[in-house]
Amino acid sequence: MVLNIRAVIFTLGILVLFLGVALLLPMLVALFYGEPEWWAFGVTALGSIALGLLSWFRRDEKRSELQIREGFAIVAFAWVVLSIVGAFPFILGGVLESYTDAFFETMSAFSTTGATIFGGGGNPDIEEIPKAFLFWRSLAHWLGGMGIIVLTLAILPLLGVGGMQLYKAEVPGPSADKLTPRIQETAKRLWLIYVGITVAEIFLLMPAMGPFDAVNHAFATMATGGFSTKNGSIGQFGSAYIEWVITVFMFLAGVNFALHFRLLRGKTITVFRDTELRVYVGIMAVATLLITFGTWSPVLAYLPSFQGDAVFEGYASISEALRYGAFQAAAIITTTGFGTADYEIWPPMVIGVIFLCFFIGGMAGSTGGGVKVIRHVLMFKNSFKEVKQLIHPQAVIPIRLGDRVVSQDVMKNVLSFIVLYLGLIGVGTLVMAFFGLDLLTAFGATVSSVGNVGPAFGTLGPTENYAHIPMAGKWVLSFLMMAGRLEIFTVIIIFVPAFWRR
Amino acid sequence: MRAIVIGAGVVGYDVAKLLSHAEHDVVVVDVNQDALARVNDKLDVMTVCGNGTSTAVLEEAGIQDARIIVAVTAIDEVNIIACMLADRLGVETTIARVRSEELSRKQTVLKPSDFGIDLIIHPEESTAAEVTRLIRRASATDVLMLADERLHLVGLRLDPDSPAIGRTLIDLVSDTPNIKFRVMAIARGIRTILPGGRERLRKNDQIFVLARPKDIPAVMEILGKSDQKLEDIMILGGTDIGARVALQLSQEKDKRVKLVESNRARAEELAEELSSVLVIHGEGTDIDLLVREGLSEMDAFVAVTDDEESNLVTCLLAKHLRVRKTVALLSNGAYIPISQSIGLDAAVNKKLAVSREVIRFLRGKHVKSVANVHGLDAEILEIEAAPMSAITKDILMNIDLPEGLLIAAVMKGDDLEIATGLTQITPGARAYIFVLPDTLEIAEQLFAN
Repeated sequence: MVLNIRAVIFTLGILVLFLGVALLLPMLVALFYGEPEWWAFGVTALGSIALGLLSWFRRDEKRSELQIREGFAIVAFAWVVLSIVGAFPFILGGVLESYTDAFFETMSAFSTTGATIFGGGGNPDIEEIPKAFLFWRSLAHWLGGMGIIVLTLAILPLLGVGGMQLYKAEVPGPSADKLTPRIQETAKRLWLIYVGITVAEIFLLMPAMGPFDAVNHAFATMATGGFSTKNGSIGQFGSAYIEWVITVFMFLAGVNFALHFRLLRGKTITVFRDTELRVYVGIMAVATLLITFGTWSPVLAYLPSFQGDAVFEGYASISEALRYGAFQAAAIITTTGFGTADYEIWPPMVIGVIFLCFFIGGMAGSTGGGVKVIRHVLMFKNSFKEVKQLIHPQAVIPIRLGDRVVSQDVMKNVLSFIVLYLGLIGVGTLVMAFFGLDLLTAFGATVSSVGNVGPAFGTLGPTENYAHIPMAGKWVLSFLMMAGRLEIFTVIIIFVPAFWRR
Repeated sequence: MRAIVIGAGVVGYDVAKLLSHAEHDVVVVDVNQDALARVNDKLDVMTVCGNGTSTAVLEEAGIQDARIIVAVTAIDEVNIIACMLADRLGVETTIARVRSEELSRKQTVLKPSDFGIDLIIHPEESTAAEVTRLIRRASATDVLMLADERLHLVGLRLDPDSPAIGRTLIDLVSDTPNIKFRVMAIARGIRTILPGGRERLRKNDQIFVLARPKDIPAVMEILGKSDQKLEDIMILGGTDIGARVALQLSQEKDKRVKLVESNRARAEELAEELSSVLVIHGEGTDIDLLVREGLSEMDAFVAVTDDEESNLVTCLLAKHLRVRKTVALLSNGAYIPISQSIGLDAAVNKKLAVSREVIRFLRGKHVKSVANVHGLDAEILEIEAAPMSAITKDILMNIDLPEGLLIAAVMKGDDLEIATGLTQITPGARAYIFVLPDTLEIAEQLFAN
């Protein structure tokens, strides 16, 4: 069976229509603040809506159901198309000159990476650009976080049975589970929870930073994105309250939303017995502790390796160290990528911890990027099983997760994912080095993009930006961001010739 | 509304599909992960892997909110226990597939209600009954009972030399005023037509005629079909269905039944059980054996082995040897659409029996019973006319009925009348109606208050 291109184009049309409607929101923001660039959003919105309606009226009446292939194609192309369209306002509004930069910024937003090209290379500073554009970046984060396709599923019933294929291709994690019998209901519940937690965060942030910043940062937090409305990210507010609120919500955004759903239904015990959650909390706690002690000046003095041009003297009080440590651990592990401090000047041991955090990611079914905790858990269990197997060659050792046995298929999927993930990082690093970046920067940029984190190392630290990356490099990184958000398989599959054959 | 289906086999899949398309929130439970994966890929349902007899599994499937449970695994005990649990947990309707005769007998120690089972379905039993009916009506492709067997719906394919071809339905009926019958549906190509009086019959139409049992031979004659008796019958496959068909047919006089079974032990067992049936031990694929046993002299050939391909092929072979009537069990259903066009006389299917029961539940309240016929899109409902409902306002001729709705017969108390334009439906009367799926809602409204 060959790919049903009509069905793919029809569904893409619907998604573009959706994007058009979403673009009306930043237009309203621009009108509200009296910014002259409102028309840039208006024109793009109008164009998208027209395009969407066109495909709606040209739809095939005998619309056949979406099969697995169409599911992958739709999701992969949807993210490309949405970023292409979503980038237009930046150019039309005159905020950015290069389309490459606009595309990079949009893909970074949708994929919840949060790597920005603003503030360098002739591009304006974040605080210089009109509010509507800041809002659009945050909104794109937020839509991309839970998944724009999942949102469409929640609102439009017409994707029908094929919806499961789309859902599987977009929702992160080795196996996508439904919360309710119907895919539309599942998508609705997920979005309701998402909206609910976001609103809660907005209310908590509002008194400290005002409505506009509260909405933007809530969007960026819940999507584990990382775009801020300030040049200095969250650190610029200098408020412990804001940092703690955001730390907690970053943590929540990195939790599987199916667990939020169960918690709301009062199934507390099953939630707290969840292996992945326990490991996630454990990793978070250990990383926080290590960073806290590594940056606390009394301890810092005894760290042996810390010599050279030390500009960092450590935090005097433990509570201050904990505040920065917890924030940084949560920001990197959940792949949000907000910054309150420049971790590049921290002691090497702490940088090492942060470096490892880049590879963790949130839980499956969360808005976080990265490898995902569940895959680490399964991979380690598998490795221990192999060790055990060496001692008892004849033993039959199932891999358990809670009281369930994980099937071989899932294990294979996880292992291939890890191989592809590392492979992508290897190739990406090589390509970025080819463009002339130093090895640390090339490696950091790749890891950060595939993991949807944002800040990296070298010349891409938390206080720097991506403006100086060569043009071709920005396209490569954009691709990596998308591959990371869609968990590689969905993206790689469209490059496999067999996918296009009968 | 939540519905739980235990068992993701062929029947379970079908039931889940049916319920899901009827806007139910379906959860399918099975122990087999692969079977669930198939369901998950094709249907918008949730799946739970586990044993249906475990409360924890049922709770995971959301039994608290479920209103119907359909237990159709291959194991009787699992189905019974699942329904018992569901009943205790407050599920309104419990349907279990039970193969054992024990519960279905009239005089039995344990009644289904003792287990909290509202309805026992027995796919093998209903399939066997259908096969038997098909053999009794030699020319029919389908035979269905309505109104407590007081009306028969007979499906038949018009022969090219049938005198009825080219005539309108009004003509046919007015020619023979003494015989009351009505053509309810025509399956023409892939289309199902609920015909008006001016519809002309065409070559190769498969038509569904409603009549009283005593009138059926006469109706057959009008339509150019002989309703000759089938006397020599060969059954291939000593399965549950095969044995039942053999038993039922061999109890009739004039019928000589041969049963071919490939398993020696099973064959001996059957020979013991069925005294007036000639049981032959041999492979169904052994054509020589079938021919030696006189396949070409048979009036009817029934293939009900577990292997649907060999059922299909041996039936075609029998047809080639000029056996008058062939019936094949096509368990998967995938071959049913082509069975008529490649020359098979009739196909039976276990799934349909179950689906009928489930649809009956779905229609609920004032809809009493339903049937559907394979190859026919229309559903057949027994529906009660509510007081003040639109349908009772006038005689049928003067009521504006939608295209996809035909009223077949009306039952007023114990009076049964085949509907005509002059029929007046009174409140409380039960009508047998044929509806196309897209007209179903309009039809229900017409009968509702």
